[in-house]
Order: sequence, then structure tokens, then C-alpha cells
Amino acid sequence: MILFGKIALGIVGTAVAGVGVLCSEGMIEVKVVERQPEVHHVYVIAPAMLVPIGMHFAPQRDLSRVATQIRPWMPTIRAALDQLRDSDDVTLVEVKEPGEHVRVAKEGGSIVVDVQDENETVHVSTPIRAISSTIEQLAASGPTI
Amino acid sequence: MRKRLCGIVMVCILAAMVGAAPAAMAATAERYLHITVNDATKGESVNVNVPLSMAEKILPTLNKGNLHNGHVTIGSTEMNDVDIRALLDALRTSPDNEFVTVKEKDQDVRVAKSNGNLVVHVRDGAKGGEKVDITIPMKVVDALLSNTKNNELDISAAIRALSDAGDALLITVEDASQHVRIWVDSKNASE
Repeated sequence: MILFGKIALGIVGTAVAGVGVLCSEGMIEVKVVERQPEVHHVYVIAPAMLVPIGMHFAPQRDLSRVATQIRPWMPTIRAALDQLRDSDDVTLVEVKEPGEHVRVAKEGGSIVVDVQDENETVHVSTPIRAISSTIEQLAASGPTI
Repeated sequence: MRKRLCGIVMVCILAAMVGAAPAAMAATAERYLHITVNDATKGESVNVNVPLSMAEKILPTLNKGNLHNGHVTIGSTEMNDVDIRALLDALRTSPDNEFVTVKEKDQDVRVAKSNGNLVVHVRDGAKGGEKVDITIPMKVVDALLSNTKNNELDISAAIRALSDAGDALLITVEDASQHVRIWVDSKNASE
């Protein structure tokens, strides 16, 4: 009985630790509402850590190409993301047109993109920490010069 | 026992307040550069809000073209051999004055230094003509010329100066349909 208890405790502990690690970079939230021709709701919430993990399965050739392009801009990207992380919440860009509204904001520790038009509403929220680690990993992939 | 506990808690709260006070006083409010473009005829509007601290940190990392380490190099060919640095320096050291006043049938132009600001007004008298107002604090002009070589302007220092210059409406451009406004304040959203 005690042995079963220990095993159960081990499994629960491992699961909790696993979930903790998986959620350590926050959650990516995607919400899409399509209104035409039929109403569709898509709501996905996933641990942001899955993105860097998922990159291991991306074709190396494509990653190398992107890495070569992104590497010269890494100091700028790092500076921007560091400052964004430390800054107060702010709407960075907002564009309003008749029937269309786009908003890019920093909310909490995340970058939030909201797009609304007559046909659909899209909301994407990505933790800055996850963006940072994904871009770092992307830049590190491929041959170094 | 209870009184002693209360006393300890009070001492802890006071200590925390005393400890936090200098940090709170030292923390300065974030300043933002706001840009809004409104097109009344199309019903469009664009708002951009940039934390100045972010711009200040990003600029030195950009090394492309004439921009390097937060400085911009001005080639003589780009300015038709006008020494922009000497021009700004002369402006900086001169007293408040009207420098240029042009009055034409359809256009008024005024460039002046007034109350520590460089002021430019352009009025196009034609129907639906443009109105341009530019107000740049002289501190920003000073900063542009600081710590640079002859053909350089220090953009990073100018942003720092802008950050310290207080709330300021820098540029407005109006015509029949569009209205552009650029200003600095400590609000994190455009009004």
C-alpha cells in the first residue's frame, strides 16, 4: 500500500514538475471567430515552450536560411524585447479603417495582436519571453560565420 | 504578547516603507513618443506609441546606411553642401529671434527661436492648403550636436533630451483631409 502511495506521489510529482516546466514560458493564446459564410470559433491555448521544441522538427535548411537573415538584427531584436519586457503596458500600433481595426499592444508580459474586420476577429497573445527564446534559438540554428 | 507582535509588525511596515521610498522616488515615469495620422475623408486613423526608453536602447544597435551607434552621418552631397551642423550650432548660440519670415500670396513661412524652442510655421493659403507647425526644444538641438564628429548628429542623445524635456507637441501637419500629430508625454496611449 505504501509502495503504491510512493509510486502515485512520484507520478503526480513528475506530472506537476512537467507541467511547471512546460508552462514556464507562459501560454500562447489564439482566438479566431469567423463570421462568414458560417460562424466558426477556434480557440487554442498552448504552452509557449512548445514553439522552441517544435522548431527542432522544422527543416534545417529553412532554419539556416532564416538564421542567416535574422542574425545581423539580433542586437536590435534583443534590445527591443528587453525594453518591451520592462516597459509598462502600451498600445504600440493601432490602425482603424472603416470595417477594420488592427491593434498591436504589450499587455502584461505578452505581445497581443488583435485584428477585427467584417468577416473575422483574430486575437493572438504571445509571451515576450517565448518570442525571445524562439528567436534566439532560430538565430543559433544553422552554420555560424 | 499581542502588543509586542503588533509592534514588530508596525516596525516591519515602517522599515519596508522607508526602504521602498527612495526606489519609488528614483523611478521616473516612462515617456512615450506618439504619432497619429487621421484621414477624415477615408475614416482612417493610425496611432503609434513608442516608449522613448525603447527607442534610446534600440538606436545604438542599428548600424545601417548613415546610422551607426545612435549617430547619423550627414554627407555633404545630401545637404547640397549646406553644413547642417554649423547651421544648428549657430541657431543654438543665437538669442531668441525671427530667422526667416516669408510672406507670399499663398504661403507664409516663419522660422524662429522662441522660449527655448526652435519654431517653424508654414501656412499654405490655398484652399485646403497645408498647415505645418514644428516645435523642437533647443535642448534637443544641443543634444544632437553633443559628442559627435563634424559631420554627425547624435540621435540617441536627442531622444534622451526629448525624454527630459517634458510634455511637448512637436509636429502637427494639417491639410484638407489629413491630420498628422507627433508629441511626447507620459501617457501610454494616444488620446
